Amino acid sequence: MAESIVEVAGLHKAYGGVEALRGLDLQVPAGAICGLLGRNGAGKTTALKILLGATRPDGGAAHVFGLSAAEPAASVEIRRRTGFVSEEKDLYPVMTVAEIVRFTAAFFPLWRHDLQERYLRRFDLPPERKVRALSRGMRTKLALLLALCRGAELLVLDEPTSDLDPASVEEVLQALVSHVASEELTVLFSTHQIADVEQIADHVAIVDRGRTVVAGPLDDLRSSFCRVRIVFDGEAPAATFDVPGAGRVRREGRVLSVLSRDGADPVVAQARALGPSSVEVLPLTLKEIFLESVAGEG
Amino acid sequence: MLWYKSWLETRWRFLVGLVLMACSAAEVVLVYPKVRALVPLVPSDVPGELGRQIHEAAALAGSYGGYVWSHGFRENLSQLGTLFAVLLGTAGLLSRSAGALFTLSLPVSRLRLLGVRFTTAVAELFALAFTSALLIPLLSPAIGARYGVGSALAHGACLFVASSVFLSLALFLTVLFDDPWKPLLGAIAAAIGLALVDPLLGAPSWSVFAVMRGETYFRAHRLPWGGLLLSAAVSAALFFAAAATLRRRDF
Repeated sequence: MAESIVEVAGLHKAYGGVEALRGLDLQVPAGAICGLLGRNGAGKTTALKILLGATRPDGGAAHVFGLSAAEPAASVEIRRRTGFVSEEKDLYPVMTVAEIVRFTAAFFPLWRHDLQERYLRRFDLPPERKVRALSRGMRTKLALLLALCRGAELLVLDEPTSDLDPASVEEVLQALVSHVASEELTVLFSTHQIADVEQIADHVAIVDRGRTVVAGPLDDLRSSFCRVRIVFDGEAPAATFDVPGAGRVRREGRVLSVLSRDGADPVVAQARALGPSSVEVLPLTLKEIFLESVAGEG
Repeated sequence: MLWYKSWLETRWRFLVGLVLMACSAAEVVLVYPKVRALVPLVPSDVPGELGRQIHEAAALAGSYGGYVWSHGFRENLSQLGTLFAVLLGTAGLLSRSAGALFTLSLPVSRLRLLGVRFTTAVAELFALAFTSALLIPLLSPAIGARYGVGSALAHGACLFVASSVFLSLALFLTVLFDDPWKPLLGAIAAAIGLALVDPLLGAPSWSVFAVMRGETYFRAHRLPWGGLLLSAAVSAALFFAAAATLRRRDF
């Protein structure tokens, strides 16, 4: 198994009396594209800010490249090796596109001037235009350019496609995918857009109310999460499934529907003992996995 | 490049301040012939506090040095210096509208961010104070008067050091609040409050406004070292308080 670039364990953070993180765990292996999926207010942004040293955790540990994100000196080193796009895409309104590119490049010895030229053309960014005069979509693309050209080993993107039109979302995601394909880097991005995760991620962590409720490689999740549909000749019995991984049970007329988080076999074996007319195993989409995981919390 | 960013964020405030303070200094010099002509017409029989103030103003305007001090360093330049110290202290830094998270994603410590920002503003305040002060000896020959460069430098130093207290206060408030208006209004309110309290305390020579006005230098021809050191110490303390607060602040 690849070493983890990001390791978060038991992270806690409260703002005033409101808990944003309640023991968040997260591991992002080297080379992964990990989607941090959660509802608005789930704690995604807070977690990413802690990784970048912009926010201090109240408890737990957050390490990037093996360095503690809470340690100021280590945090500087983490940022030297990380590209970041914030949710607000807040850049310097007083600078022009060319100025902010030149400004940012000065901080990163490994700045990729070749990529800079390529993305300026690809995103059609006008060098002499002030940042304040850019549209939301253009600002997102500029923020992405500034993150991608750092020569970073890790990209941290907070809602990179929020507030973008579908064409811009596609353009940004395609740029990201082609960049990752040609460079050796790890990506951690937060979103509440399930389609974004399905399109580019190979790992996913579902966060709800400040905790990680599901995490792992996307393919593993798809193969381990399933729904077992059990059909009876008459009314379905009010059964409970006391096997590892069994989740919510729904009973509708002749049908029992059981969610399994750990493969279908244990649930199917118990279902057979109930004497059904048929047992069917259905795969879950990421959206269903997300909704089931989030619904099961709290 | 952080210096460049700081310059971009403060340049308009600095340039407007430079023009206004230079104009104010020039106005003080160029208006003097008219003031001198009016001095003999000042009534001497006005009773009470008003009469005392009229008498004092007329007495000061009787000499060019007294006039420059009372109209320039004691009034116009002190007020403008305070205002632009606050404006320079509140420009930019780490508010959301100024790209705080982008800045914090750069491989730079928060102390360095603050240090560059503070140093830029202090350098600009230095330029404002000394440029306006030195314009007075430079323009005085135009009206046939003479004002010593040494006096201008001494008053420039008093103006610079004392007004740096308000710059540091404004900087400290910008670290406390994300909102751009609270630090600005808070620092201006503090300046007005101090200006109101100062006379009630008998305007001690070490107070920030007494130092800024350079009254000790004007009346006794010596720099108010105690007041200058106290102002510098308060300014430094506010900077370090800002640094300590910024180090712990969540964004």
